[in-house]
Amino acid sequence: MVSLKEIAPAARNNINAHLILLEKGRITSEGQNKTCLALVADETASVHFQLWNEECDAFQPGDILRLSNGIFSYNRTNHLVLRAGKRGQLEKVGDFTMLFVESPNMSEILWVPDPNNSAKYIQESVISPHSRIFPPLQ
Amino acid sequence: AHRTQRLPRLLSFTTADGGRRTKKVTTGAFNREFTIHNCSIVFFTGSPPRFWISATLMASRLIHKATYEADNSFDVSLRESFQLLEPQLRPPFSLTIPTQTEYLNLNRAILYGILSETHLAKVHIKHLHGIVIDGYSFFTTLLTRMVNELYTKLVENVKVQLIWVTSEMIYVSAVGVDGLLVALLRQTRGGDFSEANLWLCSELVGLISAKWDCLLDEQPLILSSALYVFLRLLADHCRVSLNSKIEILKQKEIEFCIRVFREQFHLCLKIGRDLIRLLQDLVHVPEFQDIWKDLLLLPANFKTSGFSDISQLYRSRTSSRYFLLRITPEMEAHLRFLLTHVKLGSQTRYQIWFARKFFNVPDSETVIIDIVRFICCAHHPSNKIILSSVIPRWAVIGWLLKCCTKSHVEANVKLALFYDWLFFHEEVDNIMNIEPAILLMINSIPKYVDMTQNLLEFLFLLMDHYDVDKKELIVGCISSVLDVLERRGVVQSFDALISCDMVSPFLKERFLKMLASRNASAFNNSQPAFLSCQRL
Repeated sequence: MVSLKEIAPAARNNINAHLILLEKGRITSEGQNKTCLALVADETASVHFQLWNEECDAFQPGDILRLSNGIFSYNRTNHLVLRAGKRGQLEKVGDFTMLFVESPNMSEILWVPDPNNSAKYIQESVISPHSRIFPPLQ
Repeated sequence: AHRTQRLPRLLSFTTADGGRRTKKVTTGAFNREFTIHNCSIVFFTGSPPRFWISATLMASRLIHKATYEADNSFDVSLRESFQLLEPQLRPPFSLTIPTQTEYLNLNRAILYGILSETHLAKVHIKHLHGIVIDGYSFFTTLLTRMVNELYTKLVENVKVQLIWVTSEMIYVSAVGVDGLLVALLRQTRGGDFSEANLWLCSELVGLISAKWDCLLDEQPLILSSALYVFLRLLADHCRVSLNSKIEILKQKEIEFCIRVFREQFHLCLKIGRDLIRLLQDLVHVPEFQDIWKDLLLLPANFKTSGFSDISQLYRSRTSSRYFLLRITPEMEAHLRFLLTHVKLGSQTRYQIWFARKFFNVPDSETVIIDIVRFICCAHHPSNKIILSSVIPRWAVIGWLLKCCTKSHVEANVKLALFYDWLFFHEEVDNIMNIEPAILLMINSIPKYVDMTQNLLEFLFLLMDHYDVDKKELIVGCISSVLDVLERRGVVQSFDALISCDMVSPFLKERFLKMLASRNASAFNNSQPAFLSCQRL
């Protein structure tokens, strides 16, 4: 299990995490598929999550989720998102009883290739302390 | 397709239709016939050969499981036991005494069988009667856990079986059947007029009425708990006249409640002062008017020695276990989590989720009354939490008050908040029950001073009109509340309230008068006159 504050963009589907879904955006169509962006978090950080097809309706804000073999990478519109991906799985394991923080948001960080290891990414700067798409509620 | 091999033997069956197959297997030293479920893999290993069955777990027959939901571990444990022991669940039953582990697994398997195989339920229960060695204690623990954790997800048929097996457990005076009945009562939801909920109310009032004599002998307090539940449900059911179905249910509930009052009044007294709070909402119901008359004017009609006046009930603090009866276990877990872990300032999202889940349907906000009573009386945070930055109870109650859209609900919520103020006695009552109200009033100054004004107005309304005959008692108790709160350091002083420009001068003046009279009342309240109330 990894904490959200430890994730970095990569082409590998190896992210196992325990998350709580905070908010869902609008469902839109991308060809045959439907998709929706969401805000998820754990006790260390938050991140944008891309839901696909049945996932869009299967999960509601407040749901506690287990992500297996997820992937954190740039999508077609160049948003940095966490998703289950073809080989990953997202499951609901509970609801409500999990603490979370909305800051930092791992999708709102400017990542650059590590000068010592081009396969890895490191944080260069913070674009926003929290999600600009789903700002914290007052 | 399947194949057999010499040792190590591996037989692999993949059955497309998920049906059962019986395969006779020969392996050298012995012949064994067993039933294979879909995707079962059978290993023969070791010397002498021992066989293992490792089966893919069959799908649950008990719960509706959505595609993206993880398996529920309790449901899995029942399924596994059933799958493992299924051959042993048909007569002739084994006469060998099971080990501890075998006994527990048998209980799980039989339970799964009873709930999912209606046509074989009687066979399974006979089996249970035959093997039981612990007074059904483990079996009722399983049933109670099932209700608490899975009731809302259960398939309809299983709910029917659940009521049937509960009836059987009452019949055999099973150990823990009271816990099971409490769990079922907690699943009835206030303000929920769905078929499923009304069905459960109907089944439970029917079951408890039918088993009256048995319960009276073995578990009389269940009748007190059921009375609390049905009086509370009646307040909601009497508000609507939807259709004949609810009329029938109402009649059954009314009959049950009246019977407890007339035949076992001492069990009513066990509830304590909240009995009056519940009865208030039924003042307009014809069948309860005689009860009210007797309570107020002719207490001797209850033929219960020791009970001579309604104030004895007022002085009897209601045990917190009654307030749990109107909160589902899920609601309880969410609320306790909120009040134990979530920091003040971080509660917004949790509040949105809670409201969306539990106050979504128009009539469902009635449960807020019960939630506030629960928070005041059944959830007392430790000092450590009170001193931390976790959201305090008064802040949650403030939010709940704002969630009310109906004035009669809002009034009842405020009554629930102040109820223990009206008859407060330091020796008998708990300061934690009265603390949230004053803190909400004071901490709403200055940002939410409307709240302060609103609550103060309501408090004086209660003082003047709650029970006109007992006004002196009520005034004395409220004075003593203010005294205790200041003396024990719950509030440093009432200056913020007294000196607040935005609170009406009239209210401030009355409040000052209360403060002035409290030293006199404190003296009066500690007089031995209190001891003349009989122990209820």
